[in-house]
This record gives sequence, structure tokens and C-alpha cells, in this order.
Amino acid sequence: MIPPQKVFLVDDEPALLRALSRLLRAEGFEVIPFTNATDFLKAHEPDAPGCLVLDVSMPSMTGLELQQHLIDAGSNLSIIFLTGNGDIPMSVRAIKAGAVDFLTKPVKDSELIGAIRLGIKKTNEKRSTQNEITSLKNRLKLLTTREQEVFLHVVTGEPNKQIASSLGITEQTVKVHRGRVMHKMGVDSLAQLVLIAERLGLLVSKD
Amino acid sequence: MVAAASLTLAAIHGFVWFRQRNALASLMFCLMATSTAGMAACELWMMNVQSPHQYNHALQFFNVLRWLITISMVGFVHYYLGTGRKWLAIAICGLRTIGLLLNFILTPNIYYSSITEMRKISFLGQSVTIVEGTPNPLMFVGQFSLILLAVYLVDATARAHRERIHRSLVVGTSMLVFVMALSVQTYLVLWESMDSPITASLFFMGIVATMGLELSNDMVRAAILASNLQTREYELHRERQLTDAIFESAPGMLYLHARDGQIVRWNSQLEKITGYSSEETKQMKTDALFRPEDHSKLHRSWDRAFSKGTDELEVDLIRKDGQAVPHFFKMVRVEVRGKAHLVGIGIDLSNRQALAIETAHHNEEMAQLAQMASMSELSSSLAHELNQPLTIILSNAQAAQRLLSQRAPDMQELRDILDDIVTADIRAADVIKKLRSILSRGEPALEQVEPADLFEKALALAQTDVAASGVLVSKKIPKDLPVLYADRIPVEQVILNIIKNACDAMEDTPIDSRRMTLSCKQDMGFIQFTVQDSGCGLPEDAERIFDAFHSTKPSGLGLGLAISRTIIRAHGGQLWAERAKDRGSLFHFNLPLDAIHS
Repeated sequence: MIPPQKVFLVDDEPALLRALSRLLRAEGFEVIPFTNATDFLKAHEPDAPGCLVLDVSMPSMTGLELQQHLIDAGSNLSIIFLTGNGDIPMSVRAIKAGAVDFLTKPVKDSELIGAIRLGIKKTNEKRSTQNEITSLKNRLKLLTTREQEVFLHVVTGEPNKQIASSLGITEQTVKVHRGRVMHKMGVDSLAQLVLIAERLGLLVSKD
Repeated sequence: MVAAASLTLAAIHGFVWFRQRNALASLMFCLMATSTAGMAACELWMMNVQSPHQYNHALQFFNVLRWLITISMVGFVHYYLGTGRKWLAIAICGLRTIGLLLNFILTPNIYYSSITEMRKISFLGQSVTIVEGTPNPLMFVGQFSLILLAVYLVDATARAHRERIHRSLVVGTSMLVFVMALSVQTYLVLWESMDSPITASLFFMGIVATMGLELSNDMVRAAILASNLQTREYELHRERQLTDAIFESAPGMLYLHARDGQIVRWNSQLEKITGYSSEETKQMKTDALFRPEDHSKLHRSWDRAFSKGTDELEVDLIRKDGQAVPHFFKMVRVEVRGKAHLVGIGIDLSNRQALAIETAHHNEEMAQLAQMASMSELSSSLAHELNQPLTIILSNAQAAQRLLSQRAPDMQELRDILDDIVTADIRAADVIKKLRSILSRGEPALEQVEPADLFEKALALAQTDVAASGVLVSKKIPKDLPVLYADRIPVEQVILNIIKNACDAMEDTPIDSRRMTLSCKQDMGFIQFTVQDSGCGLPEDAERIFDAFHSTKPSGLGLGLAISRTIIRAHGGQLWAERAKDRGSLFHFNLPLDAIHS
């Protein structure tokens, strides 16, 4: 059985929190409600899956401020804003900062649920990308210094002969290093290796 | 030796005079020292003459020098101490001149009627020639001049001393002592046949030396004084810069004028305001800046300022071009070089009047903005207040729908949901109730208003919307409408709301046929206001537009017309809409004329 997907709800109005919780629970989500942003931040783990449904105007810390906190903490959690009287500049700011949606109260169930599903999907995408990058980085750490050098040259498309001359080693040695790099990075084609280099941001264009 | 010393001193003071032509005391001193040197030479000659004739000759030269010395000594006292009596000085010089003339006329000279004997004596270990003869009684002229000189010196010294010129005592006394000594020696040599050559130059040398010393002291003192003066001058310059800055920093004209009204100092603003140039201002009296009929008022104010120390006055300033500028003057008495002056500041009141008008205008604008802000704030907080319960109701209801579709719905949960829905609904109703009470405020606060004025104010408030939509506005308002009693601000808001709706309704109308007509007419006991537009017109069910939360606009809350109707009804009037014959719509409302009694 698939574990229920988590929805974090933050709104300073308890009755509204209850109503939305009921709706989302009935829809099959696991709802974790908070009446203020501070409590949420205390409980939050940056790598948590799910989606955050956030009220814009709250006392002490507003929704937009909480969004900034999450960005600073490197959180992958997608955010859907709810507002009673959102204006355009506010929504632009929220969306630009990476919010999935900016919905006006009273919100239709289909709209809210659609946004939440999209949010969860995006959170998961971000998380898996990050996981992948983390594991690739770990693999990269396994390479010796010489192997890393060869790796960087190989992914720019340089032939072995040229790599050998620029590193001051024989072509045969380059081939050996190259084979080890492929093995350690868990790929079996040059194309896959280049893709990894790109994901890790190692491809610097040489002007 | 005497000659050399005298010449040196003469050279120094001659140079001083040459550098400073007005240092006449130095010139006199130079003359005297030179003459003394000459006299010493002459005496030396006399001591070594071989014949009476030669001696005579030398004595004549001697006398010329004697004359020069006397003149220069008198001159020195005159210029240096500045206290000698002029008539005495003239008498001395006159007598001495007569003596000099007589010396050349008489034979052999003024000293002797005849020279009887010439012999050599030993004087200070040297062999010198002296003569003996019958003294000439006319020599008395010279001696008398010498006595007068003594008197002149005593008088000048005493007077200088009284005036506390401290250097006078040294100069005067030494001169007197040497002059007296000289008189005695001359008398003894000539009348008592004392065996001594004439050594007048020695005595004069004494005077020259004392005078030289004093003059040198003076020079040193002058040098110190000069350096002090420089410091003082620098300080004065700094002070002047400071006062200049103060003068210039004044917000209006600032000036200093003397008791007679002569302007002494002024700042550039004065020139700017009056239009007179710096040169013209310098020649001017303050009177010239005012109307002749204001002069007595002005002078009375000055008198008060001079006697009490300060005064204020409001009067028109007349510029060079004849234009009158109302001014406020504040004057304060100050002492400048021991004389009472007035320092005054003039502030242009026309600016202040303009400022006052501007401020009033600005305040009005601010009030309007605040009014608009309060309405927008109200609608914003209203949106929030209503959206919260509406969300609660909606989400709860939709959650309930989901629960009910389950096979075994949680009845307790459903009960809770319904409770929450009821609570939220009551809350929303409360918001509306509260809103009504805010807007109708129970009894409207009635005040007297001109119907046309209501339109004008509302139009001014809607100016941005009207201008942005490019609507052509025309007004049909009769002149002789009676005044109304109404709560001005809410009624203006109603008109504003209708005008804004009209602008919105004409969004799809071609820009050159966007028209709005504001009209007004008396109808029975009411004044009826109408706003006609050429917009999209009204929906089928026109009456629905007055319902709360019914909006045909994507951004509207649908409260405007509902609230407007509430306001008009609170006044005892009606608000309704009708479709225009060709295109657009008409919004009417009326206000009772006898509202004050209703």
C-alpha cells in the first residue's frame, strides 16, 4: 500500500484549518495542520516530501516570509498560497519565488486538490533530482585526482591522444583511467558520462 | 665722530621717511641729524681757522645749520608729539629766521660786533682756535628764540604727558635739558668770555641720540602693532565672512541701516526682491522702498525699534518696477561703530499667502485621499472578513460531500462539519450587519450641500478613472436648484461608485463614443441625480445588480451598488437603474428636500 501523501497546512484561523483538513483528509491526504508559521518551521525537515498550503496574511510571520525561510533553508517543499484578498503584486512575488499556485479564498475543492497534486509531484521531482545529484556527487568523490582530470577532459569531447599530451601521460594510461571513470560513475557510454557532468554543473563552456 | 653717528641715524630715518612719505617726524629727524652732522663739521672748521675772516665765514655756515636744526626740531615736536602750540612754533621759526637774515646782513656776524682776538687754547687735549670780541646785542634775537623753544618744549611735553603719550616725557625732557645746556654754554662763551670753543653740535647730538632712540623704539612698537593688527585684521575678515554668511542665509531680505535710513549692508535677496542693483542700493535710503504714504508708519516703527530695541511691521515694499510686494519686517537695534543702527529682516508675505492657499489645497487633497483609502481599506478588510467564513463553509461542505460518498460516513464528523458551517454563516451575516451599520451610521449626519457641488466633488475623486477611460463628461445642472440636507461623504461615494461603474461599463465601447452625462433636476419634493453612460447597458434582470455580492465584473465584489442603495435609503431617497434608449444605462437616485424633517 502506498503511504498517504503529506499536506502541511498553515493558517491562523482554526475553523478554516479544520475545514480544509477535513476536505483534504476526505481526499486521502495526510494533513498536518499548524496555526502559525513558527510552529511549522520548528517541525519541518527540509527534505520532507509533500506539499505546503499556506495562508498569506498571518500575524507575526506572513506566508511570504515563511516562503523565504524555506528557500534559505534549501527546502524542496512546494508551496500553494491561499489568500483572502491577494493582489497581483503579491501573487507575482510568490510565484517568482517558486510557489506552485496562488489561490483566492473561497477556493474550489477541485482547484485546491489539483494544485496540491501538482505541488507534491514537483516536490518529489525536486527531491529525486537532488537525491540523484547527491549520489552522483558521492560517486565523483570515489575518483582519484588523476581520474577526475581525465573525466573533465573526456566529457568535453577531447580525443585520448590530446588528453594524454595535455596531462603528460601516455595514451594507454588515459584509456585505463577512462575505463575506471566509466566503471566508478556506473555508466557504459560516453553520452551518459556527459549527461552526468552536465547535471553536476561540471560542463563549463570553453570560450 | 658726532658727525658720523648723526649721519648714520639720519640715513636710517631718511630711509624710513622715504618708505613712508607721511612719517614726517622721521623726515624732520633726518633733517636734524644731517644738520647736526654739518654743524659738527662746521665747528671743527671753526676750531681750526687761521683768520678772523675765516672764522666769520664758518660762523655764518654754522648759523644756517643752527636755523635748520631749530626748524627741524620744532617740526619734529610738532609731528611726533603733535601737541606743540602752533603760534609758539611759528614765533620760534620766525625769530630764528630773522636771526639768520641778520647774521648775513650784519658784519661780521650776529654774534660779535667785532672780533678782537684770536687765540689757541687747549681743549680736551687738542689745540683749538677760539676768538674773542664784542658780543653783538642783536644776538638776543637768537637767544630769545632759544628761550621760546624751551617754553615750546615744556608746553608740548606737559600737554603730551597729560594726554598720556608716554614717550613724550623722555623726548621732551631730554630736548629741554640739552637746549638749556646749550643756552648756558652759548651765554658763557659769548658774554662771559669762557675759554671754550662753540660745541653746539654736541648738545644737538644729545637730542638727536635721544630722539633716535625713541624713534627706534617706536619702530619696534609699530612692528609689533602691525603684526597684532594683521591678526586682528584676519579675525575681522573671518568675522566678516561669518556675518556675510548669516546675511546670505536669511530666508528673505536682510539689511542694516543707519538712523537716517541710509542702507549700510544688505544681502543679495534684497537686490533680487527690490530689483535695485548693488550700486543703486548703496545710494539709497530705506524710505525709497516704500510708498510715501507709508513713511510715517515706517518712521514710527523705527522710532519704536530704536527706543525699545525691536519692532515689527507689515507694509508693502515697492519694487524698482513699481510692483508692490507685501512684506513683514522685523527690526532689531544694534550698535555699529558706536552708533545705533537697525538690522532688519523682510519676509515676502505674498509667498506666505500663496503657501497658505497651497497648504489648504493640499490638505483637501489629503482628506480626499484618506477618504478614498478608507473606502478601499474597508472593501479590502470586508473581502477578508467575508472570504474567511465563505471558505470555511465551502471547504466544509465539500468535505461533507466526500464523506457522504463513503460507504460508512463518520456521522460525528458530519455533525461537526455542519456546526462549523453554521458558525461561519452566522459570522458572515454579522459582517454584513456590521457593514450596514457602518455605512448607514444610523442617522445620516446631515449638512447643507449644493447638488452641483456633490457632482463636482465625486467627479474630482473619480478623475483618474475618468481620464484613464477617455470618457467625455458633460453636465446638465440647472443653476437655481435648492440646497439639500445630506451626509456629504457617503453621498459623494455613491456618485463616485456610479461614475466608476459607468467607466467600467464603457470598456468595450469605441473610445470616441464613450460619453457620460451628469444631470440633476428638481422633481416634486426631491432632487433627482442621474448618471447616463454609453456602456454595455444592464443585464436582463436589472434589479439584481443591487444585490450584495452580485457582480458582473471579474474584479468586483458586488457590494458597491448594494451599499450605495443602503446609503440613499438612509437619506429617505431611492436608487434605481434603467436601460438607455439607444445604448448604455441610466442610474438615478433622489434625495428629499425636506430631509431635515424626515
